[in-house]
Amino acid sequence: MSAVLRPLQLFNLRLHHLAEQLLEPQGRYAAGFENLIVGLIVFSVASIGVEAMPQVPQWLLTVLRVAEVVVVAVFSFEYLLRIVAAPKKLAFIVSFQGVVDLLAIAPFFLIGLDARWLRALRLLRLLRLLKLQTHFLEHTVAERTRELAQKNAALLAAQAQLKAEIDLARAMQIAILPAGFPDRPGCEAAACMIPATTMGGDFYDFMELPGGEIGLVMADVSGHGVPAAFFMAVARTNLRELAPHCPDPGTCLNRTNEVLCTQNPMDLFVTVFYCMLNTHTGLLRYANAGHNPPYLRRADGSVHALDGAGGLVLGAMADSRFETHSLQLLPGDRVVLFTDGVTEAFNSTDEAYGVERLIAEVKAYDSGAASGLIDRIRNSVTRFAGDAPQSDDIALSVLTWRDS
Amino acid sequence: MNVRLETVGKVAVVILEGRLDFATAEGFQKQLELVLAGIGSVPPAVVIDCAALQYISSAGLRVLLVAAKAAQRARIAFCLCSLTAAVRDVLDVSGFSRIVTVYADRGVALAQVPQG
Repeated sequence: MSAVLRPLQLFNLRLHHLAEQLLEPQGRYAAGFENLIVGLIVFSVASIGVEAMPQVPQWLLTVLRVAEVVVVAVFSFEYLLRIVAAPKKLAFIVSFQGVVDLLAIAPFFLIGLDARWLRALRLLRLLRLLKLQTHFLEHTVAERTRELAQKNAALLAAQAQLKAEIDLARAMQIAILPAGFPDRPGCEAAACMIPATTMGGDFYDFMELPGGEIGLVMADVSGHGVPAAFFMAVARTNLRELAPHCPDPGTCLNRTNEVLCTQNPMDLFVTVFYCMLNTHTGLLRYANAGHNPPYLRRADGSVHALDGAGGLVLGAMADSRFETHSLQLLPGDRVVLFTDGVTEAFNSTDEAYGVERLIAEVKAYDSGAASGLIDRIRNSVTRFAGDAPQSDDIALSVLTWRDS
Repeated sequence: MNVRLETVGKVAVVILEGRLDFATAEGFQKQLELVLAGIGSVPPAVVIDCAALQYISSAGLRVLLVAAKAAQRARIAFCLCSLTAAVRDVLDVSGFSRIVTVYADRGVALAQVPQG
């Protein structure tokens, strides 16, 4: 690039600058120029009418003709300036406004001031009325564009705020889950919850109960989004409140269900596996409201699903009843609780992770901390899903019974 | 997911194909509401034919639950038929097979439900 501008370039630059100042909506003189053009259009159309009247004094005709020269000069200047300013010059020339602008000045250049033999053609100057329309049209379009830009900006800001609030709510949703399992000599547990992109409703919970028992919850609210998240909070709060007053898990789910059915305007529901572990004896009592049955891994490596599944989900029918089942844990036993986000994690070919893969991981993890098995399953699911996005929350919990 | 509606006599048969999950649940709910409201006259029974339904998520179960409750209020018989193993599994675990009538196939369903 040359450091010194050649005169032609300089002229071109100045012309563009001028066009910007006069034609762009935010230009410095745009409003004044716009008013000038509209004023001249109105004046020139009126003067065509005056000229056509009989017995117009000669002096007035002279004035009008001089005025016509000025009008055409200004219109021509405007027309040329618009061509200069247009990014696509040909497109402007053949556009509605381009054609109208040309027609507004064409009669003058075609027939001059005094071609009486083409009187009819002079009426073409009335086309200037169209020019008026394009000006108002342009004005309206500019106005609408500006309004639209403002609304767009407001919408983007509102969206950003909403996203920030949802992110915050999700963070809170995870933060209210217990960080650790109550410290007891005979057992150990760990849990994790990996939310999907939208707000979901999976949750787990550990509770210290009267009499030295520990309550464990694994639950999944139907659907996604803010309603599911709210229902999760309602379900969790009710469970936590009722659990210490219930002698067994079945009773706890019965009562929780009754309460949830009265607080459920959207017909949401939650699947819950709830168990109470006696940390002195290793007796695990549990009840299942529509949740995937957890897996029990015995010390010998055998794995099977806990029976007693098939109870109805909570929140669906107020009169549902839940049975309590019992299981005596033996040293080295592990119970793996999970939500369907694990088994229904899909890969890019729409294949589900499934129970077989989960069982294989549980079987293969022989000894080690509960958190180690959680990491192992998480990694296995992540590897399996590959690039496919996580469509559902994933919650996992592992309880290991050592000895009383 | 694809939803088709057939009528056998006065009974409405809703045929589901594909996956009933969070993405498709809302649209299906609207369609079911229309079916239950009846076009012209309210049907005596609604049969959901799941022979080609490959997958149902909790959001899908919710739509069935809402529809089953609405049908009960309107005194319309509501049932499912021809479940695939995967869908049957989900209904069994969630306890839904306890509250919704399930028939082996469409023929059995149509023979059992009230006709008018």
